[in-house]
Amino acid sequence: MKLAVISCIHGNYEALKAVLSDIEAQKADQIYCLGDLVGYGPYPNEVVNQIRSLEIPTCQGCWDEDIVEGLNACECSYPSQLAEHRGKLAHEWTNKEIRPDVREYLATLPLSLKRDNLCFVHGSPNSQHEYLLPSMDGFAALERVLSTDADVLFCGHTHVPYVRELADAKLSVTVKSPARSDAPQQFQATLKRIINAGSVGEPRHGRPNATYVLYDTDTAQVTLREVAYNYTKTCLAILEKGLPSIFAWRLARGMEFAERADDPTHVCER
Amino acid sequence: MQSFDLTLVAGPPGVGKTTWISQFLANPSRPLFYLCPCAQDAVDFARIGYCFPWVSIISDDQAADVLADLPDQAQVFIELGFHMDLGSPLLVALPGRRIAIVPPSLDSSEWHNWADEVIPSPNQQVSGELASASGKLPTIWRSPLTGQVFDPPSLDEVLIELTGGAYGQVTRLKGIFELPDGQAFYVDFVEGLPGIEYTELKLPRWLEGRPDRFSGLEIVGHNLEQKTIAQALLTCCLADDVLLQYQRQYQQLQLEDETVAAETEPGVVA
Amino acid sequence: MNWAILSGIEGNLTAYEAVLQDIQDQAVTDLYILGDVVGLQGDNEAIIQRLQSPRAGELEPQVCVGWWEEQCFSLYGVSGLQDAPELMAKVGGDGVKTFWKSISRESVRWLRSQHFGFHEQDCLLIHGSTVSYADELTPDTPAIELCDRLIRADANHLFCGRSGLTFECSVTPVALRSTVTTLDGVQAPQDCGKTPRQVIGVGSVGRSPGQATYTLFSPENGQLAFRSVNYGQP
Ligand SMILES: [Zn+2]
Ligand SMILES: [Zn+2]
Repeated sequence: MKLAVISCIHGNYEALKAVLSDIEAQKADQIYCLGDLVGYGPYPNEVVNQIRSLEIPTCQGCWDEDIVEGLNACECSYPSQLAEHRGKLAHEWTNKEIRPDVREYLATLPLSLKRDNLCFVHGSPNSQHEYLLPSMDGFAALERVLSTDADVLFCGHTHVPYVRELADAKLSVTVKSPARSDAPQQFQATLKRIINAGSVGEPRHGRPNATYVLYDTDTAQVTLREVAYNYTKTCLAILEKGLPSIFAWRLARGMEFAERADDPTHVCER
Repeated sequence: MQSFDLTLVAGPPGVGKTTWISQFLANPSRPLFYLCPCAQDAVDFARIGYCFPWVSIISDDQAADVLADLPDQAQVFIELGFHMDLGSPLLVALPGRRIAIVPPSLDSSEWHNWADEVIPSPNQQVSGELASASGKLPTIWRSPLTGQVFDPPSLDEVLIELTGGAYGQVTRLKGIFELPDGQAFYVDFVEGLPGIEYTELKLPRWLEGRPDRFSGLEIVGHNLEQKTIAQALLTCCLADDVLLQYQRQYQQLQLEDETVAAETEPGVVA
Repeated sequence: MNWAILSGIEGNLTAYEAVLQDIQDQAVTDLYILGDVVGLQGDNEAIIQRLQSPRAGELEPQVCVGWWEEQCFSLYGVSGLQDAPELMAKVGGDGVKTFWKSISRESVRWLRSQHFGFHEQDCLLIHGSTVSYADELTPDTPAIELCDRLIRADANHLFCGRSGLTFECSVTPVALRSTVTTLDGVQAPQDCGKTPRQVIGVGSVGRSPGQATYTLFSPENGQLAFRSVNYGQP
């Protein structure tokens, strides 16, 4: 069976349409969506309608959560003061634009989805706000997959697609305590994978094209797809609808800026 | 009769006029003077002052007096921006060596006609073309920023946008920026040259309140959206309380560094 | 340098006094207390006062917050969820009332001003882990989870107090082949072989009556020792 996994559409209806027709051309049997349907882009309601009418199983993204719960993310989820300021502008705009039924729908989205040995989340199994960057320590990445009991973990949120194979993991643990002194224990894990679906509507890989992934459940083959679409249409709509024009400038260059500074040791004290 | 050398330097933006002059300012064995007409709050002025504290920087209103009464052996450098009329009677009357720095690709120009000596710019990619396609001369936009301290990742972001053309075509950008760790940086960008250059200025760290020394930004370009640029810059500046918090942290770190240095100093007996 | 690392006093002043006595003979240079200074059984006001004003010649304790302090903040509405649901689940309504009455607002303010944890040299000292104050690491925690907590801690030694146990788990990431493929193709592999790192349970001063445990550590040579102190009537 051929799955298409999409993420981070961010109100970019034009990009979603292009990706959906590419999925059709690729003859995928089932679509999964990893959230962030809204935020930054000019068409949040239209995107949600499309996802709902196609009955695409979807998890809740960080932006979807913030629209439902109100913006309460710790400031550490922004890489800079500038990005925080713009994130707030986008949040306020989206919050006004969105229809009540759309907000209700976003509130019903689950944090994760499962299907056989596959698990689908937005950021990480811990939180919609955690970034699983490809540079993350391999063992920490492995811990995220193992915590779901799945072999393949699909995620989004970083807006740059990748596949990561974690093979032949070996750990040894020696316990010493006044009560016991065990022989070293070996821990091993079979092959696990993290597949990041990239972003349909706010790419950050340096090109304006939409990205998503295809996954064949029979062969375990992954294909990263990059789809060109008419982004000038979205850019014009950004300007027309009164969103900051810099959003359009960055969209046209594949320079989405919502990525958190890569600091694995940051402790959110919120 | 007193003897002194006077050198006039002219050329299009980005060829390296200030850099060329700097090589002579580095040696304080003779009395040195620097003058850049009509550039009172210009970044170069401040940079020369920061890098070569022994150089006397002459403001426009003092120019006549100072030039009339130069000490023996004085060396005077006058930098002429591209906006200066080389044929003005005041300039023509000045005795001295006339140096033009021009892009190697440029064979003839008003600079060639004016100069005693033409030096090819080391910046190969600089076009030397002043006028835009529409035939308009570029504008210079100067913004003093003294007292403002920048959030470093935000500053990076906004400089990438500025030099990438998000707010109009920028052919040249020079700036001096204060950062929360008390350091000041000189930032330099020339259209056509790769990257944005950051140079740390060797100034005492400013960790007590808002820095009371010049910082600012100077942009040369076409169709600059000045209001939007000013807004974006302000969004990158730190508020009083945030700055205070940073400064406390860095003061603490400095204190710890000093303690460690004192502890590890050989010969010190506790 | 020689650190004494304590946790879980839980209001047990007698136990804390016994440990302070024991510390006196150990040439300790720094005294760390990894949370749970208050609890349900002891005299919380007395222990807070004792910590606030060490006697002449005693070390100034460096305190971070633990599970019980977080419950206290939750009850007083200064952080976290309202009305301490975790505490309610653990000790019931009467317990919550007793605990509430045992700490003054003034003391809550003081507890709130204490640290979140300590990053010293290559060590992190914290009550639970960087994941949460409630994260309970024990020798039976899955290896990969211990490894993850060490990576998140960005430390070679992770000292924690949530379990109340004294233990040392040495975790060695032996091997892992990680291959990342992006739109630009296969990326250069990451180096995953690492030296062993330690998760250390520092024990509990006040949780078990009659016996206090704590940890000594010297950061220069990595030497670790667990101390057990018996106090009161045998
Ligand atoms: Zn997203
Ligand atoms: Zn997200």
